[in-house]
Amino acid sequence: MFKKLFSYRVPQNLMVIMNSMAVLLLYLYKDRLDRFVLISGILLIFIIYMSNFILLKVSKGDHYIFLIISMLVSIGIIMIYRINPIYGFRQIIWFSLGILNFFLFYFLVRSIKHWNKWLTFYVVLSLVLFLSTLIFGVRIKGATNWIRIYGYSFQPAEIIKVLFVFFLASYFTGFRKIKPVIFHGIVYAYLGFLFLQRDLGTAMLFYFVFTTISYIYEENRKLILYNLSGAFIMAGLSYLLVNHVQIRVQTWINPWIYIDSKGYQITQSLFAIASGGFFGTGIGLGHPEYIPEVHTDFIFSAICEEMGIFGGIAVIMLFLIFVYRGFKIALQQNNKFFRIIAIGITAMFGFQAFIILGGVMKVIPLTGVTLPFVSYGGSSLVSSFAALGILQVASEELEWEQEENHGFRIQKDS
Amino acid sequence: MDLESKRIVRVLIVLSTMLVGLVLYLSYFEVFKADQIESHSFNRRQWLNEELVIRGSIIDRNGKILAYSEKVEDIQSRIYKYGSLYSHIIGYSHKEYGKSGIEASYNKLLIDDESNPIRVITDKITGTRDKGNNVILTIDHELQIMAEKKLKGNKGAIVLMNPMNGEIYAMVSKPDFDPTTLKENWEDIVEDLESPLLNRATMGLYAPGSIFKIITATAVLQAGNINEIYECEGSLNINGFVLNNFRNTVHGEIDLEEALVESCNVAFAQMGLQLGKNNLRMAAEKYMFNKIIPFDLVTKRSLFPSTTAMTNPELGATAIGQGKLLTTPLNMALVASAIANDGLMMKPIIVKEVISPEGKSIKSNNPHTIGKVCEAEEAGIIKDMMIEVVKSGTGTNAAIKNTVVAGKTGTAQNDMGKEHAWFIGFAPAENPKVAVAVILENAGTTGGKSAAPIARDLLNAGLKKFE
Repeated sequence: MFKKLFSYRVPQNLMVIMNSMAVLLLYLYKDRLDRFVLISGILLIFIIYMSNFILLKVSKGDHYIFLIISMLVSIGIIMIYRINPIYGFRQIIWFSLGILNFFLFYFLVRSIKHWNKWLTFYVVLSLVLFLSTLIFGVRIKGATNWIRIYGYSFQPAEIIKVLFVFFLASYFTGFRKIKPVIFHGIVYAYLGFLFLQRDLGTAMLFYFVFTTISYIYEENRKLILYNLSGAFIMAGLSYLLVNHVQIRVQTWINPWIYIDSKGYQITQSLFAIASGGFFGTGIGLGHPEYIPEVHTDFIFSAICEEMGIFGGIAVIMLFLIFVYRGFKIALQQNNKFFRIIAIGITAMFGFQAFIILGGVMKVIPLTGVTLPFVSYGGSSLVSSFAALGILQVASEELEWEQEENHGFRIQKDS
Repeated sequence: MDLESKRIVRVLIVLSTMLVGLVLYLSYFEVFKADQIESHSFNRRQWLNEELVIRGSIIDRNGKILAYSEKVEDIQSRIYKYGSLYSHIIGYSHKEYGKSGIEASYNKLLIDDESNPIRVITDKITGTRDKGNNVILTIDHELQIMAEKKLKGNKGAIVLMNPMNGEIYAMVSKPDFDPTTLKENWEDIVEDLESPLLNRATMGLYAPGSIFKIITATAVLQAGNINEIYECEGSLNINGFVLNNFRNTVHGEIDLEEALVESCNVAFAQMGLQLGKNNLRMAAEKYMFNKIIPFDLVTKRSLFPSTTAMTNPELGATAIGQGKLLTTPLNMALVASAIANDGLMMKPIIVKEVISPEGKSIKSNNPHTIGKVCEAEEAGIIKDMMIEVVKSGTGTNAAIKNTVVAGKTGTAQNDMGKEHAWFIGFAPAENPKVAVAVILENAGTTGGKSAAPIARDLLNAGLKKFE
């Protein structure tokens, strides 16, 4: 027992080592030694260690996804703390709330059966959230997707993401039969609302997740083709008609000619990535503060600058193994509803990471979404952990009645 | 595996490929693009590093300080002692307008940004890191002043160098600009149609005219199976296109040496036709045409036109240095140097050494060859011809008392207006110490008349210094 507690082979102990070193760096980097760093750091290490420890006790499912995510959150918090200690500390608070939410949703989703029967509920709740965003929404960073309550602003779209996955899963499980036309109408309504909020990145993300799930489960294969061609037409039309779509594309093709205006953010991001080299400047020694919105959308550029290209690659690889674990969970799950949920949630995070990582590197046009689990943001982190809790349920063997025809699907864990 | 699982795996493969693609792109970005992006003048990081250190000085080969930085009450200013004299070599280092010349290519060393990170940290604590490295040029300040004086009032360029090790002694490009008043005059400088920002010595592309005949002659010597005697009637008709000698001079029966000495277009056009376009192109490429010359300042590549669609009249024109040929003065200085150096072309060097403020050598550029244009005997034959050019041919204005000078004149017709006057050469012929290339843009006179005297004075001054 004692031996195990201190062994370097136990993954969470490795995380403790890594985090301790990073906190020590942060502590030394400040001009006057900042005790607050140590308190925050110990708090962070404690939360991660305890939550992994508890999870090992309560869940028989996959233990790696939580570790991967803990690592991503650690990197994010270290970077955010270095950019702005106040945000960093807040992010630690959000992280603790996120973990509470993780366990809350884990137990909630595990204890209630028949999630697939509530299709109408998911749609109506999404609609309410969309409408309230449109009515009470505040405009932040050019997108009207924030609601402000008691001084705290949050993004309803973060909750809608999970609801959307539940909606898709319910439809394809087919408990409550609705016509394909109505189904597609609802999907495009989601996209339309996001477009109205100017939240192009999230709209793209929803479309990717929708395409993924319908590729796997849609029996009418022609519909997938129609949807794809529809997407191309929509993309073309919005480029021709909508000004801010054009700006995104222009600053993607050549941001350098708009460097002092609309290309400023992306070029600053490229400067940061280019300045780090393979090993980075070291935490606190770079200048990520030159990038606007560095703690949210551009956190990855800051990581590349101070932790180097290798640090950036590590973050991408973490997402890669997360995606791998997520799909593995789906392959091993017997319950179809939770299979779709696992695919939906994993794809949601995987694509979201790709959209923003590709955006800040100028591989694809930049659209403002957060880097899941890494970027600063309360509503994003807390709802992401809720989704992770649900994924944790999906990783377990569920002894619920099968609503399928083809019986058990057994695969050995390899 | 059932269909559903197969599809799930396919989606996994797609997503993984996307993420792995990002990893690959990031590595590619770091290796191939990062340096260029990092040194973009809008990247504020470089300026930030610079405020911490006093930028190093730039010094000529004899220890004369040409540019340095001063810090008065925490504000650093760059002082260019000789104004426009070094506008294309040293260039400028300016917060708003970026950097050029050595200031750009040696920026990291000038601000000592390449030292190891541990030293940077220890220096930050002890506060010792406050001076950048000094850059020592191969330029000789006095020769540079003289070259600038010779070119004053003209457009064009001069490159004076050591043919044996590639060190540049003087390099002038006119018109120029004054880096000390860059901010005040920026608009004028940028909008000036004569483009004073352009370093004509390394980036100006000119028709070479007759000086290219050295390259054609090299190709002839190497090909072997070419006529030795040519018939010159003062003009040559190639498929209906008539090519003339200067003032339509008739040379009669003429061999390669006489053709070069008299700069006979008719004979060289015939040689070109016999050589064929590929032989001529290969010879030119050995002389660095269509290649980037490795150098510490930005260079343009000299152009030998594409041979796929080259017609005979074009080939004839190319063989005499006309047609679509374009070259830089630096390249032509290297051509003269290669002949002087027994056919070996040396890499041009303009930075001799970089030394730390304490005097420790950080980087030095040693001579090395970038190519072999011909065998030593062939170079010797061409050298003898070039000696004859100065002795009795078109280049008599370049002759120096008591010293044998080898050279070649050129008068290049071009689309931009009057002819360019060229001269390339070296001296002393038996043991070359200095090589030179002079071009007077749109001079409207022959190279022998206007460029050769300038070359002579510079060669003479160089010899006095380095013999």
